[in-house]
Amino acid sequence: MYNKLLKSRLKVIDRDFKVKNKIEAEGGCGVIGLASSEQLEGRYLYQALYQMKNRGNRKGGGIAAVGLSNIQLGVSKEMLNDCYIFQLAILNENYKDEIEKEYISEFFEVYDSYKIEHLDHQKLGLEVRPPEIYRYFIKIREDKLKKFIRENELEDIPEDKVEEEMIWQISFMLNKKYYSSLGDKRAMVMSSGKNMIVLKLVGYGDEVIKYYKLDDFKAHVWIGHHRYPTKGKVWHPGGAHPFVGVNHALVHNGDFSNYHPIVEYLKERNYEPLFLTDTEVAILVFDLLYRVYEYPLEYLIEALAPTLERDFYKLPLEKRKIYREIQALHMTSSPDGPWFFIIAGHDPRLKQFQLIGITDTSMLRPQVFSYLDSNVKLGIVASERQAINAILRDLYEDTRIPSLFADKYWVARGESHTDGGAFIYVYDYEKNKFECFNKFGIKIKIPEYQEHYYLKLSNNQKIFNIKYDKNFDIDTFIKIIKDIGWEELLSYIESIKKRKPREAIELLTRLYDLPYNTGMKRRSSIKTILLKALYEIFDKYLDQEYKLIDFYEKDKLHEAKNSIQTLVIDSKYFPSEGEDSLSRFVVEAYKMGWRKIIVYNMRGQRFLGCGLGPNSDSLRIDVYGDSGDYLGSGLDGAEIYVHGSAQDQVAQIMKRGKIVIYGDVGQTFMYSSKGGEVYVLGSAAGRPLINSVGKPRVVINGTCLDYLAESFMAGDPLKGGGFVILNGIGISDEGEYYNLEDPYPGGNLFSLASGGAIYIRDPYNKLEENQLHGGKYVMLTKDDWDLILPYLKNNEKLFNITLEFLLTIDGEKKSYNEIYKKVIPTK
Amino acid sequence: MPSLKLLNILNPRAVEKHRENIYRNLEILPYLNFEEIAIGNYGWTKDLILATYYEASTGKIPEHLEYRIGNRGDGFDSLDFKYKQSFDEKDFLKRFEEIDLSIDLNKRNYGEKITIPVPFYGAGMSFGSISLNVMIARAMSAKTLGTFTSTGEGGYPKELMKFKENVITQISTGYFGVREETILISRIIEFKYAQGAKPGLGGHLLAPKVTPEVAEMREVVPFVNIYQPFPFHSVYSVEDHKKHVDWIRAINPNALVSVKVSTPIDVDMVAIGIYYAGAHIIHLDGGYGGTGASPEFAKKNIAMPIEFAIPKVHKYLLSEGVRENITLMASGGIRTPHDVAKAIALGADGCVIGTAELIALGCTQCGNCEKGGRGRGCQIGIATTNKVLSSLQDPRWGSKRILNMYKAWCYELKKILYMLDLDSIRKLKGRKDLLLDKGPSFEGKEEYV
Repeated sequence: MYNKLLKSRLKVIDRDFKVKNKIEAEGGCGVIGLASSEQLEGRYLYQALYQMKNRGNRKGGGIAAVGLSNIQLGVSKEMLNDCYIFQLAILNENYKDEIEKEYISEFFEVYDSYKIEHLDHQKLGLEVRPPEIYRYFIKIREDKLKKFIRENELEDIPEDKVEEEMIWQISFMLNKKYYSSLGDKRAMVMSSGKNMIVLKLVGYGDEVIKYYKLDDFKAHVWIGHHRYPTKGKVWHPGGAHPFVGVNHALVHNGDFSNYHPIVEYLKERNYEPLFLTDTEVAILVFDLLYRVYEYPLEYLIEALAPTLERDFYKLPLEKRKIYREIQALHMTSSPDGPWFFIIAGHDPRLKQFQLIGITDTSMLRPQVFSYLDSNVKLGIVASERQAINAILRDLYEDTRIPSLFADKYWVARGESHTDGGAFIYVYDYEKNKFECFNKFGIKIKIPEYQEHYYLKLSNNQKIFNIKYDKNFDIDTFIKIIKDIGWEELLSYIESIKKRKPREAIELLTRLYDLPYNTGMKRRSSIKTILLKALYEIFDKYLDQEYKLIDFYEKDKLHEAKNSIQTLVIDSKYFPSEGEDSLSRFVVEAYKMGWRKIIVYNMRGQRFLGCGLGPNSDSLRIDVYGDSGDYLGSGLDGAEIYVHGSAQDQVAQIMKRGKIVIYGDVGQTFMYSSKGGEVYVLGSAAGRPLINSVGKPRVVINGTCLDYLAESFMAGDPLKGGGFVILNGIGISDEGEYYNLEDPYPGGNLFSLASGGAIYIRDPYNKLEENQLHGGKYVMLTKDDWDLILPYLKNNEKLFNITLEFLLTIDGEKKSYNEIYKKVIPTK
Repeated sequence: MPSLKLLNILNPRAVEKHRENIYRNLEILPYLNFEEIAIGNYGWTKDLILATYYEASTGKIPEHLEYRIGNRGDGFDSLDFKYKQSFDEKDFLKRFEEIDLSIDLNKRNYGEKITIPVPFYGAGMSFGSISLNVMIARAMSAKTLGTFTSTGEGGYPKELMKFKENVITQISTGYFGVREETILISRIIEFKYAQGAKPGLGGHLLAPKVTPEVAEMREVVPFVNIYQPFPFHSVYSVEDHKKHVDWIRAINPNALVSVKVSTPIDVDMVAIGIYYAGAHIIHLDGGYGGTGASPEFAKKNIAMPIEFAIPKVHKYLLSEGVRENITLMASGGIRTPHDVAKAIALGADGCVIGTAELIALGCTQCGNCEKGGRGRGCQIGIATTNKVLSSLQDPRWGSKRILNMYKAWCYELKKILYMLDLDSIRKLKGRKDLLLDKGPSFEGKEEYV
């Protein structure tokens, strides 16, 4: 059947088109996607895109929105359901009438049409005037449809599928005639899907929202993108993302190295790329596999990002057979090179709005997924965690959601047998059901029995009398939290707030940092309450021991009175990099003698802790909020405590000092580090400690994606060298520590290392020889245990992960060398 | 590994004697009648090597040797200048001081404004691939000349720190020896993404050359091969590269950032990406470059030759309207002042010099660099950190040699400019029209006045 569909294109496509080179080197970008059970307004995407501006260079930005409001579009519900929204961008008004006559009226039954409203581009500071967009609500003309079916013998294909194909072909014809990538650009089709629009311009992604007045525009699914093309002046938005199939739009962070073979593959199936960028061919392949071939999503993902190496052999036999077939068939159409796709789409047959995030097999682009299950169910996926939290913060401040945080955050493991490197959020609009599942169809589990704390309820709430006196022990309190209700919890927090600021901050921070059983209460809500309490203290209740300062007062910073006074910096308005950035301000403060610094309200600012220079030993920095990339890189002596998760390139080339992270950490953690004492409560992403030398001593309590300690060169740990302890521990929804099924799921452990060691906790003997490439497993000696014991004890103090827990498996206490294995170089 | 007992036997008098022999040789050799094949190769011919020895001894150009071109048969060896006027020595000497050889390294509006009085600086050669004595010699001459030399990818030896005003710290993909301290003391930071002599292969230092001193500097295990990855693992896209440059600027906002890349087919795209990432200098390293530390199979000519890469990038940056905001340096087989002038005529601002400096110190191009202390190693004590062998190089003597060579180069550069009727090297930039393709290692030697 699909062959006939593809064959019908021969009249429209020039089969012998010459495969042209890519016009642009794409490189990098910022991408974000949001899906929700409730329609959300465009302004929520705005802040996230704004915060990721440094991932683009203003030469292209775009959004796609799916699952729209018929009222806002000015049409009836039936029209929104039945019609395709055909958006025509006119770059040269002279051709509008011609196009309407030859294409619109010729092929379409137009139910409604209008020009889209927008602001003045010059007032927004846009260099290039975006094209006018004409929006048509259309269906294919009955007579044209019948004719097409007859001429191409498509009688046994459902009519709506033929209609889709015709829409695609007409868009193609239009784009080809009026927008070939060279020469005169007169018009192009922005999008043509059902209940879906795409808008893009030469500027940043957030500027699209402003320009087209989308602040209040509602949709179930949004995706946004900043482009970073390096070539040329850009006069037209044709190269910006998203690119579209019919009902799907795709944004892309990354770069393909096999553009040509993919185009050849598409050529054989009657697809002709017109915009000469990687992203376009990505959506064309997706369109082919999803719409024409009708692959189930699992196989489609496998075709794009094949399961390889050790992960392949971990799959059950049935899957291996099918996957092998798919891989062989799609060898040339699977994109090579670092990439991360976010796809927004609508499947009118399944009655689903979809948001799909797929990461490539080498996990070279950063990605974070998240899920919140409250009165509103939503999922956000982005290049950086701070972008996700920016959206959640705005929604929380508007009381749309009950928490500042998602219930779950995770990273996908590309090409893996565990999650397939892809996650899909689906809103079924017929059944009003919102779910998230991985490539294999396994749903993300949320502790539904737990409740969020809804602020609205609290307005009439009396704050109970302070039940707990000044000396109530916090560790005891942590043990009873699961049994008390919200009101009691709130009252305890109120009582803490009334203590001296130093004490209050310490206690609240401890409650914020540690996981514990929260009973029927959602952890994300508790964290929200705690963080707000901390921020309230920072904003309003500090005493003489502290000095509060923000961006607008930064020039008023004076020398520290002594080394005990703490500088508290409200990061909110500090730019992410540059002379006026937060990181440079911290360096200045350090030079002025400040030795205790609290940084709060962080929104992704980068390079915190960089620039302090050698021997910064007496400095301690505490971080609250979303820190950005390169935190603590080059640290030489100071201490940084991150209350929350950290992002990518943390502690790169770190020399000495201490970093504690009460959460997860991102890509290339401690790349080429030379020393330092580092503790991570959660997990690391890809390539932690790669190329590390000297003597770093690191405890990672969770696990990591893969490539741990590749090319480690850190001498002999027993003679002063470096090592990593990996404990393989997860935190359950109940807030309790448990042993992960697999302490290290990846296929590359300690590859090519020539020094250092990994002490990996493997209670169930899951580690395999085939995970090693140049390393070997040995038993720990008493010297090893004496070496790592002090670090495990520190780890216990920091995170409440007791030695007892580490050494007790299924109720039985074991000795250290029954549980830990040591990985050393084979030489 | 030669036993350290030798060091005890090797008393100062013996070292002195060996050095004297070497120095004497280097002074005599340019006058001897050599068979063509006794020394050198097509790139560095016998004449070029001996001419360099002569220049390093005397500070003058040798009239009796072919000192302008080698014998590759193409590239710079087939290019010559379309001189506008003949050489009148008296007139030239009168105008000598006015002819300007300086170039600006910072054409952007942030960072220290650095101008160097000559259109070149020294290339990165790591501690490990060469000896500390050689690094000091290079640093001393850079300081006297007012230009720069680079630490290479092996870290910043503390003995070099007193020359910090003239030392570029290099950051390569393994980040060896890179600390905030070294970034903070440097006026220029050089990112080494690739090396023309072995593009796509990352850094190598083979086991025999990873001596205890080298291992200590890089904080690795002695006598084990060191590999540096090909890419920076934190840079997989252009916005990652911008972040990378921003990171250095977050540590040392005043320092200039140079990005060294090799020359793939889309080197123009690479260059514009470097520009947008905020760097001050694009450093193209072509295929003829040297390497003192890599396996045999890597030392072949790969990557685009520099004479194609320079005009390609120059033209592209011009068309993008950004050429005047960034400095373009070229390296990879720049052997003579003529090569420098040709590279500039093709579109570079200046050149980065590697092998020529080593030849000034007595390198014979024997090609045994990577053997370290095993086997013969470097017979002249340059490409080794073995204590015995590297004692053959005296830094003070070495720095004088390099300075003399550059003195001769400056004379020759000014002479070329004079004969082109130009009074500044900056005016030569991009003047392809002043170049003439004369075919394989042209016989136009007689034409040269």
